[in-house]
Amino acid sequence: MTENQKTFSSGEPVIRLIGLGETGVKLVETLAMIGPEGVESHSLDTDNRSLSRCHQSKTLLLGQAIPCGLGTGGDVALARAAVESDRDRLAKLVEGANLVFVIAGMGGGTGTGASSLVARLAKESGALVVGVAATPFDCEGTRRCNQATGGLRDLKQASDVVFHFSNQDVVQMTGADTSLNNALEIANRHLCESVLGVSRMLLEPGLLNVSFGDLQSAVQGRQSLGSVIHVEGSGEDRAATAVEKMLAHPVARGGEALQEASAILVHLSGGEQLSLAEMNTVTEAIKQYASAVDLVVGASGPGRDEALQVTVVIAHQVKLTEVEPDLSAPIESQSSEVANVSFPETFMPSGETSYVGLGEDSGGSRRGGFAYTPPAPTAEAITPELKDSLIEAAARQEPDRKKRKKITQEMLPLEIVSKGRFEKSEPTIHKGEDLDQPTYIRRGMVLN
Amino acid sequence: MSDTQIIVGLEIGTSKVCVAVGEVSDNQVVNIIGLGQSKSRGVRKGEIVDASLVEEDVRNAIVEAEHMADVEIRSVFLGVSGSHMRGFNNTGVHPVVSADREITDADIQDVIKNAKAINLPSDHSVVHVIRQHFRVDGQDGVLNPEGMLGAKIEVDVHVVSGRYNRLQNPIRLVSGLHLEVDNIAFNGLASSLALLSTEQKELGTLVIDLGAGTTEYAIYSAGVIKHTGVMAVGGDHVSNDLAYGLKVPLGRAEQLKIDHGSAIIDPEANNRSVDLSTDSVIPGKKINLGHLQMIMSMRLQETFELIAKDIEQARLIDYLRAGVVLCGGGARTPYITRLARDVFNLPAAIGRSSTVSGIKNALDEPEFATPVGLIKFGAFQSQTTPRREGFGRVIRKQFASLFGGKK
Repeated sequence: MTENQKTFSSGEPVIRLIGLGETGVKLVETLAMIGPEGVESHSLDTDNRSLSRCHQSKTLLLGQAIPCGLGTGGDVALARAAVESDRDRLAKLVEGANLVFVIAGMGGGTGTGASSLVARLAKESGALVVGVAATPFDCEGTRRCNQATGGLRDLKQASDVVFHFSNQDVVQMTGADTSLNNALEIANRHLCESVLGVSRMLLEPGLLNVSFGDLQSAVQGRQSLGSVIHVEGSGEDRAATAVEKMLAHPVARGGEALQEASAILVHLSGGEQLSLAEMNTVTEAIKQYASAVDLVVGASGPGRDEALQVTVVIAHQVKLTEVEPDLSAPIESQSSEVANVSFPETFMPSGETSYVGLGEDSGGSRRGGFAYTPPAPTAEAITPELKDSLIEAAARQEPDRKKRKKITQEMLPLEIVSKGRFEKSEPTIHKGEDLDQPTYIRRGMVLN
Repeated sequence: MSDTQIIVGLEIGTSKVCVAVGEVSDNQVVNIIGLGQSKSRGVRKGEIVDASLVEEDVRNAIVEAEHMADVEIRSVFLGVSGSHMRGFNNTGVHPVVSADREITDADIQDVIKNAKAINLPSDHSVVHVIRQHFRVDGQDGVLNPEGMLGAKIEVDVHVVSGRYNRLQNPIRLVSGLHLEVDNIAFNGLASSLALLSTEQKELGTLVIDLGAGTTEYAIYSAGVIKHTGVMAVGGDHVSNDLAYGLKVPLGRAEQLKIDHGSAIIDPEANNRSVDLSTDSVIPGKKINLGHLQMIMSMRLQETFELIAKDIEQARLIDYLRAGVVLCGGGARTPYITRLARDVFNLPAAIGRSSTVSGIKNALDEPEFATPVGLIKFGAFQSQTTPRREGFGRVIRKQFASLFGGKK
């Protein structure tokens, strides 16, 4: 850690990226590959397998004693225990840093459970903590979504600001036809942009500097949600193009996000040609939406390419509960019924059709398809005699089976959770969830 | 008795049938003079599943209330609920056609008529159409546009609707007991009428009625009702969860809920247990208090979260400046206000029928909010419709019982 102390004293802020859980590790790997110089990357996970894929960042296996490198399997409590057991090592990891990015995918075990604890450790060591969180698609199940909401809330409380990106937003941005790979890539790119934008803003030598102090005063202690918009404009009218892109950015929500901001940091980097007029265009556009906010403008010096890169860091001072409806605004502006139906329509059918297919298969012409079928005899094994005997056997079996079918005992549906007193009443279904079943079972709580 | 009117509120709830008798004087002061209740056996999730049992229970409750108030109950205002009920907002538009552009009473009637023209599913019928605000040429927040000048008049209304057949079930049942049903009202609306002061309605309040079978909620803001909803989840679900999770009979679970329940998890509770060894049904069983509280807390928290989500979707969470008011049997759960405060991020309190006078019992108990509110609803109704003559009323009752229907 002495090395870090040295960089600290040299004037540059010490920035560390900490990726937690599978998603976090993946993001940190990507960032470490493309990220600016002078940023330390660490990958932390409870799963050995995901860490073994890391080449760019320093790895640390959490909870060597408890999950033994096998992952938590979505158990938040296990992840917390793992972090607790490695508290000392983690404390060393964040020691001496000025800015710590805690990057995690919410909804699973490690990312959800560990991120807030790591953020808290970093906070205790005196660093400015920026959380970067991805939340799952709605179709990933209620339990995961609920876990993600909880994890995000905890992370928000532990960090100074959280840049949050919901995977579900990708669906709204690009439509449900996007391939899963593509959708995840878009989500990852947004999260990476947030980290890169902020670190570039702080590390690049600037004409007008946005310093660590500016960021600190904008976000420290707000425990808020923030967002980062990073756009590039090129060509003749590159400032206007950049502004247009900025407002069209999903995170800006057509300027609404700017209106709600409590502080905005703008950083432009545009090489030698960066003109005062261009700077003016960008800041004026922002001021149109947010005239009264704390606006810090920075510009970095020569050495960059022709494109004008604009990074806008928006810090909100709104509570999580109040921001949530806005984040999902596009669906809810339609009738809520349509919104509810649309997810199953886009995601469920693939699963459903396959089940339907199975049912038809067994319930139609080939009844009993689920029963054990002996492996097909090899070609040389079928002698004419054997063939005949097989056909005979099949013929004998046919009526037999029909008779048996008549006396087959009816099977009760495989109902794992009895509904007790609501057995015979009309089920209360809310967004596909049967509310008659105990909540603690649906949320996967264990009575121990 | 000559210048006061007797109004009776009847709620056929999932856990009990409740009757409140109110005396309404000419200046609209409501005084509760009688209460009657009996355990309800034929209701699940707010709807009747065994009519003969419910009939008996209603009769018992009515008789009790008659004794207490020393009046004969002939007609009631009936509270209705159930998962089939929906609340939504609608707007009616009407162009002012008169030459001088002055808005007349006829225009107002027309615009309200337009607002009532709602495209409902064929099996639904309207329970309430509640006027919110008028808009004259886009000018918002007009309370009474009569006499104003304008080209276009709009009105926002809140509509509560439900399945016709399922609404008729309790009405027919009550009519079968030779009681006239003056009108029906949505339970969630009724309880909010009982609990909220004008100031709370003005500031914006969420009222949650935590019943046994259903949970109803209503939002007031700027003095008018903005949103209503009902979920078929309630105290019965809590008991059922406990019975399942702790592996005890339902009746015992119900008792455990009342004796040891809590809306939040006490960290100390995990080390404590409840001894059921004296119980004759399940001797020698111990129950971990931590489990009990967790099961209960999860369910209640989820119920609140579902409501919070719905309110967020309706974009009303920022308008609730007076916080959350709880009523119904579920409001008796210890620490329920703290849970509500945590989930909604708003101050929460247990409601008290502060706007009426009378038997103290009826006003302080959160369970009686709905029947008391039904009386208030009845008082408003009789204020707008002219008082009926004694003779005419007898005739009406005769007809009603002849045809076995409402009115």
